[in-house]
Amino acid sequence: MSTDLVLDGLVRRFGGAAVLDGVDLTVPAGGVVALLGPSGTGKSTVLRLVAGLDTPDAGRVRAGGRDLTGLAPERRGTALVGQRPRLFPHLSVLDNVAFPLAVAGRRRRAARAEAAGHLDLVGLADLAGRRPATLSGGQEQRVALARALAAAPAVLLLDEPFSALDPGVREGMHRLLADLRGAVSPTVLLVTHDRQEAAAVADTVAVLLDGRIAQAAPAGELHTRPASLAVSRFLGGVNEVPGAVERGAHVSALGRLALPCASPDGPGVLVVRQEAVALTGPADGDATGTVTRVTPRGARWRVEVTTPAGPLSAETGPGRTPAPGDAVGLVLPPDQRWVVPQATG
Amino acid sequence: MTRAAPAWRRAAVAPRVALALAWLAVPLVPLLLWAAADRWPFPAVLPTDWGLTGWRQAAGQGAGGALGRSVLLGLAVAALATPAGAMAGRALALHRVPARRLVEALLLAPVAVPPFAVVMGLTTLTLRAGVPGTVALVLVLSVSALPYTVFVMRSAYAGYDVGFEEEARTLGAGPRAVLLRVHLPLAAPALATAAFLAFLVGWSDYVVTLVVGGGQLVTLPMLVGALSSATGNDAVVAAVSLTAVVPPLLLLAATALLARRGAR
Repeated sequence: MSTDLVLDGLVRRFGGAAVLDGVDLTVPAGGVVALLGPSGTGKSTVLRLVAGLDTPDAGRVRAGGRDLTGLAPERRGTALVGQRPRLFPHLSVLDNVAFPLAVAGRRRRAARAEAAGHLDLVGLADLAGRRPATLSGGQEQRVALARALAAAPAVLLLDEPFSALDPGVREGMHRLLADLRGAVSPTVLLVTHDRQEAAAVADTVAVLLDGRIAQAAPAGELHTRPASLAVSRFLGGVNEVPGAVERGAHVSALGRLALPCASPDGPGVLVVRQEAVALTGPADGDATGTVTRVTPRGARWRVEVTTPAGPLSAETGPGRTPAPGDAVGLVLPPDQRWVVPQATG
Repeated sequence: MTRAAPAWRRAAVAPRVALALAWLAVPLVPLLLWAAADRWPFPAVLPTDWGLTGWRQAAGQGAGGALGRSVLLGLAVAALATPAGAMAGRALALHRVPARRLVEALLLAPVAVPPFAVVMGLTTLTLRAGVPGTVALVLVLSVSALPYTVFVMRSAYAGYDVGFEEEARTLGAGPRAVLLRVHLPLAAPALATAAFLAFLVGWSDYVVTLVVGGGQLVTLPMLVGALSSATGNDAVVAAVSLTAVVPPLLLLAATALLARRGAR
């Protein structure tokens, strides 16, 4: 039932301004890709173009080798679950889930029997007779998910489906999505603005910046090996050391730091995730400096340090935390060093 | 103390309901009395002879047929004005309409213009064009009903989420299935209200039926008008008038029930 989804150079303009400016993206069959980007970057527009609810100004949408671009939404096999569950208020929970089966021409009894199976899949079999208005937000989204799965879609499109839910409920939905993958392995394109959600749910995270896919990679790689300064910054990376690459090392105000993998010589910015930076005594470390600020970040602390190469940050776990004014050393682990091109313009 | 407040409120509700009922019912009391009176000379407070002569005379005057024609006329007007109003209301609420102000003004114009000012000219026009009187009557009344149906449906569609229809399409429903299984069920309460108002326009019309219909179509209001222009017919007029009150009340109750079901 699973097919791959290929977006090929999608362009969408609103009033002359190109919101999407050539989006290329592939979701492998049975894979989950999260489309991550700041709000207002046209993430939802990508889903609407895939679902056929909007028409691209250029580019094509393919699923399983079939060109979907000109097809009506109901002929595409791309069920969409949005931020609002949009359960039909005049139908019971069971009949909501049976809706795609009923419009596909299934007999009522057969449609309901099959819908009950999908409702069971999301763990809500005992709510079949209820009206949607009596459900909680999390239950509504589960029913919406069951309804979308009942349509047996080639591709399941999720548009921030969990962002309106409480954190605990949201984590439950992430687990449910993982369980569903085990049971029916749908191809999923998920839109979110939540980095944690993208990392928790998807095999591949695609970052949408300025109307294009800036990088698509597994979440871990995206954080430690960003393709550009923009991706690094969007993912919350704060450590940037300008300099140049010379014969396998990065040369800057911090001196010569060996790089784990070959980079072409020339100007480049060294980035190291603040979570990877370790604190040590002022005599040791790859850089030394003075602590300027310590801010709590949940169970962790962010320590900002002024160094010859500008401010650098480290995140430390619970335990001994330096105070502002302390002299400290910073360890930039060699395997966490990564060089990106200097920002242009 | 906590129980006293609701009890006090409940006690105060009864007189208010009674007042509201009186507002509606008091004008009907003389009508009810007359409809059951065979003789009710002037100074008497109540009828002196009770009986159903009024109803027999009403039947003899063709009240049954007039009732049927009135119902048909109301239904025909509702059948034309409701879908037209729904389409216009949806367009005005959800889509970009060129010259929106002008379109809105045109749709609402029939309320602003007194019907008798328009119908005189229309009669000659329909006569010359060879349009049968009854057809012309239904058309003119449907246009008069449009402002009400457009207004009701536009407000309804302003609070309508097209996302439900989009959702249905991504789930495999074609335009026809979306209309029958999603759009119409969601719009049903508003459609019922609009149809009720349109029905009333046809049901209660006198002037247009008289002029454009050319007197061929004798509806209940026509019968009441003809009977009450002569003297000594009070019992018949009361019987026919009561007949004219009942169907809209039944429809009103049905509409309210449907709206409540939709709100659940």
